[in-house]
Amino acid sequence: MSSSTSVRTDDPPAVVLTGITKRFPGVVANSDVHLTVRRGEVHALCGENGAGKSTLMKILYGMQAADEGTIEVNGEQVRFRTPSDAIKAGIGMVHQHFMLADNLTVQENVVLGAEALHGIGQKARKRIIELSGSTGLNVDPGVLVEQLGVADRQRVEILKVLYRGAKVIILDEPTAVLVPQEVNELFDTVRGMQQQGYTFLFISHKLDEVRAIADSVTVIRRGTTVGSADPKTVSSRQLAEMMVGSELPSPETRESTVTDKVVLDVKGLKLMTPDGSRPILDDVDLVVRSGEVVGIAGVEGNGQTELVETIMGMRKAGSGTITLQDKDLTKLGTLARREAGIGYVPEDRHRHGLLLTQPLWYNRILGYQTRKPTANGIWLDPDGAKRDTERIVSEFDVRTPGIDVPAAALSGGNQQKLVVGRELSGNPVLLIASHPTRGVDVGAQALIWDEIKRARAAGLAVLLVSADLDELIGLSDTIKVMLRGRLVADADPNTVTPEDLGSAMTGAGSTSAAVQETAVVEEGEN
Amino acid sequence: MITTLEEKPHVPAAPRKRKVPGWAVGVLGVAGAIVLLSVTSYQTGFLQLTSSGTTQTAVRLALPILLAGLGGLWSERAGVVNIGLEGMMIMGTWGAAWAGYQWGPWAAVIAAVVFGALGGLLHAIATVSFGVNHIVSGVAINLLGAGLTKYLSTLIFQPLSHNPRQSPPVQPFETYSAAGLADWLGELEQGQRLIISDVAGILRGLVTGVSPLTMLTILLVPLSYYLLWRTRFGLRLRSVGENPHAADSLGVKVYFHKYVAVIVSGALAGLGGAALVLNAGQLSYLEGQTGGRGFIGLAAMIFGNWRPGGLLGGAALFGYADGLQLRSGGETVLALVYGVVLLLGVIVVWQLIRRRWFSAAAAIVVAVVLYLLYISLDEIPSEFVAYAPHMVTLAVLAVASQRLRMPAADGVVYRRG
Repeated sequence: MSSSTSVRTDDPPAVVLTGITKRFPGVVANSDVHLTVRRGEVHALCGENGAGKSTLMKILYGMQAADEGTIEVNGEQVRFRTPSDAIKAGIGMVHQHFMLADNLTVQENVVLGAEALHGIGQKARKRIIELSGSTGLNVDPGVLVEQLGVADRQRVEILKVLYRGAKVIILDEPTAVLVPQEVNELFDTVRGMQQQGYTFLFISHKLDEVRAIADSVTVIRRGTTVGSADPKTVSSRQLAEMMVGSELPSPETRESTVTDKVVLDVKGLKLMTPDGSRPILDDVDLVVRSGEVVGIAGVEGNGQTELVETIMGMRKAGSGTITLQDKDLTKLGTLARREAGIGYVPEDRHRHGLLLTQPLWYNRILGYQTRKPTANGIWLDPDGAKRDTERIVSEFDVRTPGIDVPAAALSGGNQQKLVVGRELSGNPVLLIASHPTRGVDVGAQALIWDEIKRARAAGLAVLLVSADLDELIGLSDTIKVMLRGRLVADADPNTVTPEDLGSAMTGAGSTSAAVQETAVVEEGEN
Repeated sequence: MITTLEEKPHVPAAPRKRKVPGWAVGVLGVAGAIVLLSVTSYQTGFLQLTSSGTTQTAVRLALPILLAGLGGLWSERAGVVNIGLEGMMIMGTWGAAWAGYQWGPWAAVIAAVVFGALGGLLHAIATVSFGVNHIVSGVAINLLGAGLTKYLSTLIFQPLSHNPRQSPPVQPFETYSAAGLADWLGELEQGQRLIISDVAGILRGLVTGVSPLTMLTILLVPLSYYLLWRTRFGLRLRSVGENPHAADSLGVKVYFHKYVAVIVSGALAGLGGAALVLNAGQLSYLEGQTGGRGFIGLAAMIFGNWRPGGLLGGAALFGYADGLQLRSGGETVLALVYGVVLLLGVIVVWQLIRRRWFSAAAAIVVAVVLYLLYISLDEIPSEFVAYAPHMVTLAVLAVASQRLRMPAADGVVYRRG
């Protein structure tokens, strides 16, 4: 299969960036970036988190102005002051974090800002339905966006761009939120649209995907372009080395350290939606043993978040028991559960893990406000907290100018290292890690993986929830698949592939011997 | 190639079943309220509950609340919490009195709108351009509105009215009544027939003594709905309140829309001030005249779930409670307590049907307490009666605020970039 037939080399390139430089106070986000995208191709832009991909795309989309350098679109030099300038030039962007208003309908989201084209009424609706076909979106334009799943939201984003008549579409990490099957559907859509003459700029750090979809690749490292490659001939390893300058870390664990000592025992856990209409967690049984990593796989919104929050006592279970080392936690509050020996890396470190405006040592106290070394009897112990924060900063390689800076001053990876370091302090017997490496750079990811492996070898029980299937397969000793609030299948991480897991996660049924369905047949749903 | 996606005929999935449409809820609500009041007045013998006089007073008192609520709606739909409505309303009352005693009622209306809009502009500059916390800025505007008008009225009104707290009297609007219709409704009202007489009394109150300001205000409700929900400008304004980053990324001028919304909000609150000054009972500026109606308007908007129709219902409820206490005093307010007991009875049955045992039990307890209150008291102490609208506000918000949906980015300071 080759899509290069549709790439027209004689026309002027769709987009040329020359010598783009962008400085922020204290940082150079982009320096002397060069990028050429030919018309009709899928051009991938690869780089680690923090390499400057997003800044570059914001410049191309007019959200930020470059300090130096020029942009050419279809051979003409342009200057974008606002996104509308970029839209007029035929450039559209699908953001990684969806730019949708949940409480507005699909139609309202699509026509917003482009009302001049077809108004906001019936004509617009007709046009949206016409365009829906090429994006594979199959919902009524009058539906509220909050009722759509992740893949459909992404289609709405693409639809927005098409509606404005964009010919060059920037996809910013489009696969980060999708399961493998959805990724394949997205790629089908992209190839179909490429046939219709659209040009794509595909931003990713997932090298397999880049090689699967792209016609050409540009690699960016520490804010500057380090080279281009032909995805047909380059290997993932070579790309990875271009990206990070060294070998990629791997989540792989070597030998099993699983013991038969049960640490966490969850029995018959049930949780209903606040209005009591349907279960979020339905009869969940779960055992985590000392030295074992149990991974929970599932499409987001199938109850993983609620499972974790129920075990932590942040939500009140309808029925069921939670036992930690023979101690019944069911009726205890969150603090008491933490004191019983649970460490918790929350999925959203900004909402639940840190106080961003407070200094690092203050954040060290959170959740440990009753225990040494951060407390002394009923009094907090700032000196102890500061000393222990220094320890975490050096042991976990938290890159910070000092422990008195606010947490917001740290990059995502360093914030996460601080959280992981804190949660592994105080000798927990169980670590609950939700998406522990989401949105962190490769270095921090490697360190966090190493720390989890080390703690596991020392007998820690780990409950791992992650959307990164490679991470899940690499770290876990057992994988359980969660679907609509139930644990529906077990998978063996030694043999299972991300694709097998993906189909189990979407409820498509197991296609592999590595995934064994455990649940009773669901009533009328399959 | 893998697939060729041509423009194939595309069948969208059926839209989700719509629940009862908004207008039907409104009609049902109004019908329910009339039946409830009718039964209450029949049971307790207080015909004032649905008399045309009460209705007329209620309409007059609901106007400022409605206008303040509409002001809150505009501002909050664009994501700016406007707790400064009270202050903007006070500025409106001063402006209305200042222009009103010199050049007549229409000048009063225009001056009130301009003064309120200035307050709105100040709030917009603080919250949108400088990113001041919306509550802080709103409270500051409330203090400023009270202080500034006090200063100005001492300066300008005192030499004329010999009272630093009051303006010279303003000239009122002429009022209009549908004479023939009102007479016929009056006969029906005298008929003492359950429901029919009550409906006639309420309608008669609505068509008697209507001022141009009343008509303008009532028109502003559908107008706001049309502008905010059916035009491109409204879509942009609401998108700014739901997700300003998304709106910005689509070329919507976030700051511009917020500015417009907050200035309109202030103008509406100022108009609410004019409605107070041009109120037949007072016809002048009085210090402390607003009496928290800006806040009650905000409460009416929250009660109405940030929608114009609901907000109209909220304003009617609060205006009615206010009108009743003003017109008939403690005894009738006590009759209203009886009405609340009846309403709670209905709620209990409904909660039992839905198997919500806890809610049902809570409603029973409250109903019993209120009923005991009703049979043990002859009238509600007059000190307390004046606070009836505030108590109703409190009770309604406590019960109704559970399932409301505010604009997603309401109160969030937006910074570009």
